[in-house]
Amino acid sequence: MRISTWRLVSALLVLGTVGAASAQEGHPLKGSWIGTWESNETHGEFVLVVLDWDGEQISGIINPGTDNIEIGAATLDPAGWTVRIEADGEDRDGNAVHYMIEGTIEDLELPNRYITGTWQHGSGGGDFEIRRQ
Amino acid sequence: MRNAEMNLRSTAAMLAAAWFALAPAMAFAHHPIHGKFDPGADLTLSGVVTYVDWRNPHAHVFMNVGQGDETLNWAVELESPIDLEANGWTQATVLPGDAITVAGIVARDGTRQIWGESVVRSDSGSRVFDLSLEAPPTPLAPRPAPRWPDGQPALGGTADAIDGYWSYPSATALVEDGIDVAMNADGLLEDLDDAGRVAPMQPWALALYRHRQERSLRDDPMYLNCKPPGGPRQYMSHHGFQLIEDRERERVFLLLGSGNRNYRIIYLDGREHVGQVGGDDDNPLYYGRSVGSWEGDALVVDTRGFNEDFWFTSGGLPHTSRLRLIERFTRTDLETLVYEVTIEDPGAYTRSWTSSWTLRWVGGDDLPFHLCQHNRP
Repeated sequence: MRISTWRLVSALLVLGTVGAASAQEGHPLKGSWIGTWESNETHGEFVLVVLDWDGEQISGIINPGTDNIEIGAATLDPAGWTVRIEADGEDRDGNAVHYMIEGTIEDLELPNRYITGTWQHGSGGGDFEIRRQ
Repeated sequence: MRNAEMNLRSTAAMLAAAWFALAPAMAFAHHPIHGKFDPGADLTLSGVVTYVDWRNPHAHVFMNVGQGDETLNWAVELESPIDLEANGWTQATVLPGDAITVAGIVARDGTRQIWGESVVRSDSGSRVFDLSLEAPPTPLAPRPAPRWPDGQPALGGTADAIDGYWSYPSATALVEDGIDVAMNADGLLEDLDDAGRVAPMQPWALALYRHRQERSLRDDPMYLNCKPPGGPRQYMSHHGFQLIEDRERERVFLLLGSGNRNYRIIYLDGREHVGQVGGDDDNPLYYGRSVGSWEGDALVVDTRGFNEDFWFTSGGLPHTSRLRLIERFTRTDLETLVYEVTIEDPGAYTRSWTSSWTLRWVGGDDLPFHLCQHNRP
């Protein structure tokens, strides 16, 4: 039930903001992104990601609705606009959780471009999709 | 009266039909021409004018064309009304009911739109809506730049000289000085393999530049969303710009002919790059924040604080909020302004680089008034 509610909330958020994204003509990853990492029982399905580019590296946070998870390493391969993000957080019991996200930027030319791919930690994983706001 | 009503109704119906036919293209309003129209798809149409839509950014002439058993309404897209008017054409050059033949290239998306490269009146055989953007001929001997009483060159008009503005840029897209690549006036490369030579881009910036080029620059936010032509782009338009020196208050106003009465201020009073406290003090801007000083006969302007919501040049070279511009304005003679810009943006480029071009003085004339209007085909 909780997952369904999150799915509904996140879908409404994403749908409600499509077309309202602020322009971003610089580095394609820079900005705030909202979406889902499906089947994530550790941190829920709804996720907000904030990414930045300082000219040398990509940094940012993943916020699943509770504490921020600092992004440890992130890369963008412009050959196929593939994105790889690694981040270390904790579950509710304080156990370490290492996330690996891999995806591709779609609709690159649009302000509300999106990243679609997969997330993984331990034995868990699923589809991942976030749209720029 | 009844016939008039019917004609009105049928015209309205045709316009409505044309509107719906064009509706899918609305999201792509006013692109660089080859973004919207296919240069390889030539077509010639003959028909009767039904409506003349004389508005920015591009004028349109609608015409009925007999094709097979049916009559279809086509939209003929022309240059901007202010450019057409500068060449002597008006909204009444052709009128509803006039027969014309149009040669041009058709829209990529399959809608009934054609870019009018040639428009000929059927009754007289005369060409209309031809355009020349050539600069006026230069004097045989250059005349000296006007100067203020203290000897400093005047970048615009002075109290005892004819006012005017700067136009006819010798370059319309950024390319690093010393690099020779072929591109059209919109900055669209003739050979995409030249992309990496245009400027020292980081890999992501080069890939994004190529992507924009591959899409024929149709995503340009200046055309799509009327975003301001910030950065060096403000000096690339043939609609020009005006420099007004307020020497008493130590600032230069830069008025743009190409962007919705936009202006920026260059402060020469020694202040830092800050905005108004409690206002835009920490807000990145389309035109950044500029401070300047004179080095000999050159005004040197340092600008920072740009946002990332626009393209800072035709052609689609990317920039980031780390962009810093060092600009040099030098009036070498009455008619010539040399503009040189050094681009420092460690977010998008591997090193700083320089581009320069010249502009021509248009004396005794007002800056063209141009309003961007989007959300129309």
